Amino acid sequence: MESLMTWLEAQLADNSIFTLQTLGYYGEGLATTVQLVALSLIIGLVLAVPLAIGRGSTHRWLSLPIFLYCYVFRGTPLLIQLYLIYYGVVFVEGIQETWLWVILEEPFVPALIAFTLNTAAYTTEIFRGAIKATPRGEIEAARAYGMSRGLMLRRIVLPSAFRRALPAYGNEVIFMLHASAIASVVTIMDLTGAARFVYARYYAPFEAFLFVAAIYLCLTFAILYLFRTLERRLLAHLRPAGG
Amino acid sequence: MADTPIPLEVRNITKRFGDTEVLKGLSLQAHKGDVITLIGASGSGKSTFLRCMNLLEQPDEGELIVHGEPIRFKQTRHGREPADWKQVVAMRAKLSMVFQSFNLWAHMTLLENVIEAPVHVLGKPKQEAIAHARELLERVGLAERAAYYPAQMSGGQQQRGAIARALAMDPEVMLFDEPTSALDPELVGDVLKVMRDLAKEGRTMIVVTHEMAFARDVSTQVIYLHQGQVEEAGPPDEVLGNPRSERLRQFLAPKH
Amino acid sequence: MIDLHGYGPRLAEGALITLELAVLSLILAVILGLLTASAKMSRSRLAHGIGTLYTTIIRGVPDLVLMMLLFFGGQIGINQVTDTLYDQFGIDLFINVNAFVAGVLTIGLIFGAYMGETFRGAFLAVDSGQIEAGRAYGMSHWLVFRRIRFPQMMRHAIPGLSNNWMVLLKTTALVSVIGLSDMVRVASEASKATREPFTFMIIVAAIYLLIASVSEWGFARLQKRYDVGYGEVK
Repeated sequence: MESLMTWLEAQLADNSIFTLQTLGYYGEGLATTVQLVALSLIIGLVLAVPLAIGRGSTHRWLSLPIFLYCYVFRGTPLLIQLYLIYYGVVFVEGIQETWLWVILEEPFVPALIAFTLNTAAYTTEIFRGAIKATPRGEIEAARAYGMSRGLMLRRIVLPSAFRRALPAYGNEVIFMLHASAIASVVTIMDLTGAARFVYARYYAPFEAFLFVAAIYLCLTFAILYLFRTLERRLLAHLRPAGG
Repeated sequence: MADTPIPLEVRNITKRFGDTEVLKGLSLQAHKGDVITLIGASGSGKSTFLRCMNLLEQPDEGELIVHGEPIRFKQTRHGREPADWKQVVAMRAKLSMVFQSFNLWAHMTLLENVIEAPVHVLGKPKQEAIAHARELLERVGLAERAAYYPAQMSGGQQQRGAIARALAMDPEVMLFDEPTSALDPELVGDVLKVMRDLAKEGRTMIVVTHEMAFARDVSTQVIYLHQGQVEEAGPPDEVLGNPRSERLRQFLAPKH
Repeated sequence: MIDLHGYGPRLAEGALITLELAVLSLILAVILGLLTASAKMSRSRLAHGIGTLYTTIIRGVPDLVLMMLLFFGGQIGINQVTDTLYDQFGIDLFINVNAFVAGVLTIGLIFGAYMGETFRGAFLAVDSGQIEAGRAYGMSHWLVFRRIRFPQMMRHAIPGLSNNWMVLLKTTALVSVIGLSDMVRVASEASKATREPFTFMIIVAAIYLLIASVSEWGFARLQKRYDVGYGEVK
């Protein structure tokens, strides 16, 4: 480890921008981006499943609010949602005196809330489409075997809907990764934040942004690869036999 | 009129798809007023041969002479190609093709389909083209369908419309690529009737078909293709009435 | 009545900038998209390679990063060019990268890649018999494109086009970050100054939703126009 660091230091010796220190910024930025994106995706996913089921409900008092939530969050820029929550929290009167402020003071939390609400709205629509596309025959077969609604949802509808939703959800994950770049706007030191810092410090836009673009590109490819592998495993039953 | 150039002549056409040679040196001469029918089992190369005549397929070897004018070719990285696409475009305007699947343009009404190429390719004034188109639609029995879109018409109507579209070009030679194969049996008659009328008025036609009665009654020459080669050719009563090869006899035998 | 603390006119100007930016970017994106689709369907390996590289990179990097690269990097790049011009030829030129131009270029460049995919799919969806009929009747490549391929392709492209436009519209919000006074920027300044973020952000959100709804209606009408001749009977 020690020797690796000295080797790296030697490699970077005649480079004025990519010093160990700036690489450290990028490393921390990467960690922040991954945390922010992963957390919002996981929470968003958990929220989206019941929302998607409710969205398809015949009770309008349940499906209508979910429809409106999805419509608004998918129809407006994420940046506005972020500003709304970020400034909204900061400017709420008296909030600075309560215990909540300890968590909300960090911009990370408002950003996480905005990202989560945003991805939950998109994911809800993706799942709803997948649930709606369940072949009628499968539902009828489940009914014919005496399954209750809940059992049918759990054993038949959702498992097949998740698989169908996989390609679209993969796109949503990449979309979230890219959208997370705006976290830097509310002073979070994510990957883009690190690039902006390096740019401002060395006035080197090409180095700062091309480097970070390459990191995003690698992350995107990694996600694509992951989902392709997942699809191959989970959607194997949809391929023609022998093909 | 002995020195009138022959409307269409092809010499020694060969065509390969990958390693398989589908046309093995085919020739044909269409004189004015000829109705030449190409028959053969599926895979015999008859449609490919027809499509080589207006260069929808590029033949690998061979010559193509339209109205005395040879089409020029050049060798490229992708194989042999016409040297001058303008020449090809002008040639195609003289040969109208009627397709198996009609291929009427779906986003245009029947009338718009018929005037499209005369107006945009031949540069005919629009009013003149419309008047001509209405006459032609009348002839094929579709006068009242002028404002319909292809999707609103039956297959037989679409094919008769497609023939009107071909006639609108005042073609020197009409190429028919299995014009009745995609039709329901009860619709075939109307299309064949239009084609018989065209033959009677002396149109030069080359027809790929499975309709043996049509070939027997109408054509001046029948060519039987087998695996990309001419197995028999000649007047219909000879080729169809007294087939020499066993293969053709089997091909013509009633299937049941 | 909502109290806008005098920000009303600036907000309206901002909305206009957003709209102008979106429409100009869309035009650029459509042109680039058609070019990309042609490149990717072309027989030339080079054109195909360039098209693929372009779409891959654009779709792999966040919009905001590309925008900053073009805006901040573009200025330095241009400065270097003008410096050379001055040193070598004595031409004194000063070009300032304008945030609006940078915004249109970046957003157009980004969505050109997405449009390319939309158009490619739409072109491939056109029945080859339709094209063949055109060629068989002596139409030139350009005439086939103009009279048959393009109108028939549009029918398949409109859903994707509409979708891309909706995303593009939202992406315009990012230009506020590089200093352009679009409506998001105005709303964010007003929020900070008046400490009433809800008022301004909700108004801006409502304008976005309004533009989206109107465009949805417009695209539905356009779809109807290009659907002519399809699906009435069958």
